[in-house]
Amino acid sequence: MRLTLLLFENVGELTKKYANLPERYIKRSMEQVYWKTPNAIQYLPRTVQRKKFRFTTNRPWTYQFLQQNERGTHRKKVFVEPILEWSIFRGDRVQVLVGRDKGKQGIVSRVIQERNWVLVQGLNCHMRFTGKDKDFPGVAVLSEAPLLVTNQVSLVDPSDLLPTKIEWRFTEEGERVRVSERTGRIIPMPLMADETHDYKSKSAYKESPKDTVESELTKITFSPTLRTFEMDVMNEMEKKEENVTNVADVPS
Amino acid sequence: MFVLTKLKYLATPINYLNSSITLTFSTCCNGCSREKLITCARDFQGAVRCVAASFLHTSSSRYDLMEFFDDEKNWGASEVKVGRAWKKEELRIKSNSDLHKLWYVLLKERNMLLTMEHEAKEKVALFPNPERLDKVAESMENLESVVRERNRAYFELETGETGEKEAVFDHEELGLKQFPELAGKRISKHIDEHWHYRLMTLFKGSAVAKFKKLYREKIANEERKARNRKRNHVMHLLKRFPHIDTATLEKLYPEVNIRKAMLHKKTLGNHPHNRA
Repeated sequence: MRLTLLLFENVGELTKKYANLPERYIKRSMEQVYWKTPNAIQYLPRTVQRKKFRFTTNRPWTYQFLQQNERGTHRKKVFVEPILEWSIFRGDRVQVLVGRDKGKQGIVSRVIQERNWVLVQGLNCHMRFTGKDKDFPGVAVLSEAPLLVTNQVSLVDPSDLLPTKIEWRFTEEGERVRVSERTGRIIPMPLMADETHDYKSKSAYKESPKDTVESELTKITFSPTLRTFEMDVMNEMEKKEENVTNVADVPS
Repeated sequence: MFVLTKLKYLATPINYLNSSITLTFSTCCNGCSREKLITCARDFQGAVRCVAASFLHTSSSRYDLMEFFDDEKNWGASEVKVGRAWKKEELRIKSNSDLHKLWYVLLKERNMLLTMEHEAKEKVALFPNPERLDKVAESMENLESVVRERNRAYFELETGETGEKEAVFDHEELGLKQFPELAGKRISKHIDEHWHYRLMTLFKGSAVAKFKKLYREKIANEERKARNRKRNHVMHLLKRFPHIDTATLEKLYPEVNIRKAMLHKKTLGNHPHNRA
């Protein structure tokens, strides 16, 4: 039972990858605990907390997400078509199949895996008016509406720039690639797919003063010895074990 | 050059100069009463002796209470970027003494972050990048598990046992099976008086039998509800997405009979076309 609940409330892998945040933090920031039994022997460990969340374009660890899933509110369940293998990523060129921009091609700017959504740059847009007052009509902001990856967008084959279905296959080097079903050409993974909130690409990451440099990180300082961790540390500090009841336990 | 790992942890040994000690001491005890100052001085001397004895140390050149706070340039910053947590495979190649030092670096970092978080709360200010706390916690967890791994390997090689606390399946008072960690070494059941007493007195009688029956019923009910919920979910999916790949559904919900669910009233909906 718990497993199914977890399945439904799960934050998408791509969302987590883009955030570059520890899973623990995402869980912690999403958590809405209504009541928890005190940590005492007379209580069984029980927690009453929100289990069902409405995922939208707001990222799960943000304040806006918390606002949308306000304490004590309940929203109707949204059914999302299960997808085994996700195939559209940030930076992919896709063709819109429905709506006012039907037939136009654009670049995927965001993926919202929890809802099977993608946002395509500058397509399927509407105007949002912010700061509307009785004297002031508000400022118009262009905002993209999400599109379903299942039937509202299609990946574009880079060789002929036409929409195509894809298949995941392996190259001879063992690399998993997307292959266009129509032309058999490989659709390369976009560079934007590796982008996270913190860096554009792994090579472009700028070390902060608290980061360990790579030369220190990859240095192998471990050499196996027949000692436990404690024995080894004490040996290094030239300390002797004093609280030993059994003489046989004294480390050599 | 892709290294995001947190915390530079290897530092060069530093000689403790008297001048620096007095300097930091005076800054740390600014505005204290005389008695407090004396106790503080005593503590401080002790601390210095302790650190000096270890000779090699890993902290920065500040030794005062301000080590509980972040760098001054990070005060009021909206974002403090740091890398990711230490992974297990990175910790496995480090020597025991390196891990020992790293543990204290992480501990100090955690103290610092908790202090900063508390301070931000007090001042109703933003605590930038609270995920740093989770990164440190994750690193510490990984480090601890690597140390356990090494100790377990030693004990298994030397004594044939893990060297950790033993845990055995046992009945608790109401007859349910539990897997508690034992405080000490396990003794054979036949010579264990406590166990014998439990066997003779506990988890017996009609009350326990009744409880166990109800408990089993509760678990069965939960399982049944979960099964129904899953089947219901699948039927709704079939209703909303009629062209859905059934192989996908079979893979995700192996316990649901998809063919049967496809013919159910809930799947077909109320459209006359489907009803016919």
